[in-house]
Amino acid sequence: MLSYAFLIHALLGALLSGISLAILSPFVTLKKIAYMGEALSHIAFAGIALALLLSLNLSLVTMLFVLAVAGLIGFVSRFFQTEETNVITIFLSVAMALGIILISAKKDYSFDLASYLFGNVLLINKTDIYSLIVLSVVNISFITLLFKELFYMTYNMTVAEVFGIRVKTVYYLFLFLLAINIVVAVKIAGVILVTAQLVLPASIAFQYVRKLKPAIIISILVALVASLIGFYISWQFNLPTGAVIVLVEFMLYLLSLIINKRSKVRN
Amino acid sequence: MIEFKDVNFSVDNKIILENIDLTITTNEFVAIIGPNGAGKSTLIKILLNLIPNYTGQVFIEGKLNSEWLKTERIGYLPQKEEYDTKFPATVMDIALMGIAANKGVFARFNKQDKLKAMETLDKVGIKQFNNAQIGSLSGGEWQRLMLARALLTGSRYLILDEPEASIDKSGVNSFFDLLSELHKQGKTIITISHDLHMLNKYCTFLVCLNKTLHCHTETEMLTADHIKNTFGEALKLIEKDY
Ligand SMILES: Nc1ncnc2c1ncn2[C@@H]1O[C@H](COP(=O)(O)OP(=O)(O)OP(=O)(O)O)[C@@H](O)[C@H]1O
Ligand SMILES: [Mg+2]
Repeated sequence: MLSYAFLIHALLGALLSGISLAILSPFVTLKKIAYMGEALSHIAFAGIALALLLSLNLSLVTMLFVLAVAGLIGFVSRFFQTEETNVITIFLSVAMALGIILISAKKDYSFDLASYLFGNVLLINKTDIYSLIVLSVVNISFITLLFKELFYMTYNMTVAEVFGIRVKTVYYLFLFLLAINIVVAVKIAGVILVTAQLVLPASIAFQYVRKLKPAIIISILVALVASLIGFYISWQFNLPTGAVIVLVEFMLYLLSLIINKRSKVRN
Repeated sequence: MIEFKDVNFSVDNKIILENIDLTITTNEFVAIIGPNGAGKSTLIKILLNLIPNYTGQVFIEGKLNSEWLKTERIGYLPQKEEYDTKFPATVMDIALMGIAANKGVFARFNKQDKLKAMETLDKVGIKQFNNAQIGSLSGGEWQRLMLARALLTGSRYLILDEPEASIDKSGVNSFFDLLSELHKQGKTIITISHDLHMLNKYCTFLVCLNKTLHCHTETEMLTADHIKNTFGEALKLIEKDY
């Protein structure tokens, strides 16, 4: 029998990680960099494997590992002048391969691979909750303070630069923040499922509104509702929480597509 | 003052610009003409530091362009701007882009900024669309928005890459009237254009470009030979339009 505290931690963790990803979601979808989220989460997997193998602090090692690889990707694509998206995809697979090898090297195999691939809300502890609260606040402050820069960054970086808007620095800060969010959320949402929570909320929001600010709010609401419903269902039927949340968000997405289509037909 | 010093640019061994030495003095209304593919847009992109691998140097007001652009702005109207037609931006949002840099990093746009933007949108004749999504604009309306954004930078320099593209006849006239007005107020204007009529009427300095500079002279000094040399075979096409 799981204790009440466990339940609360799990619920809060699912809610907060969903929300923190949803705050960044509109920018990620508009800038069409969902693949960045994909890559970061897979690289995080290798980081997790490394930390487990060496029995080091999980979050810290994963974070450092992700940042190091991100830097390496930037360097490789610039130094060898190759297409960055391809380099990212290659590193994504390589990180996954590395992670699998590292895990198999840890002979006593005392951890559950599926937990990290698909998330496990039962792994959430008090520290995670605190870091998620801090992260959500940081995310909100970031997009509020730098809204103008983020807006023009997602519109067109090159043009924004010509007009003297500091988009490059803001873009790197955004990626940095995205990396932190993903590293924290991977534990809860899982390597495979975290991107869904990064893309779906805004995809739903933009079916209803064509303005960035309302879209951010709807995106957060979607994550909130989906996490609550998903958590409840998974609890009732004893199903994996992260996966159910993603399915609930997907249902909301289908619904939004249908509603949008119908309102277009009517007009 | 803008100076190009021995600027050369090539892509994959194909020479695009060769030995460009050009000085544009302040408060000139410059037209750059030349056939398609002459390197006109490229020359401007080099000036704006948008192309990395060229040789030679470009100076703006005595400073290297990359240095000058760190603190100052040019009102630029690109030949084409890539954007997603579904991008959730209004005409006002894009116009305000011209003011954004003057606002500082954390600052928000206030009523005054929006008023100023409205005034400029009015000047270019698209005030009524201020709340429209950018994806809904026609080609000419978009071009007017691009001009409004360039004007809103308040820069002493306006650099326009075929501003009259997809603008109707009366629109072109009011475009150039507006530019001429700004020129009188002391702005330095560089425009790429295929409309020799307009250029003849308004511009003070002409640059004929086709990979190399064929001439750069006061407009009155321009001769048919200059044009012939610049356009070569392409001239027949131009003459028909003219
Ligand atoms: N990145 C690039 N890679 C390869 N070729 C390029 C590149 N940029 C420009 N070019 C070539 O350089 C030449 C000049 O291009 P540019 O756009 O400057 O011409 P333009 O004078 O502005 O022509 P237009 O009147 O059609 O706008 C063209 O032949 C073009 O194909
Ligand atoms: Mg051009």
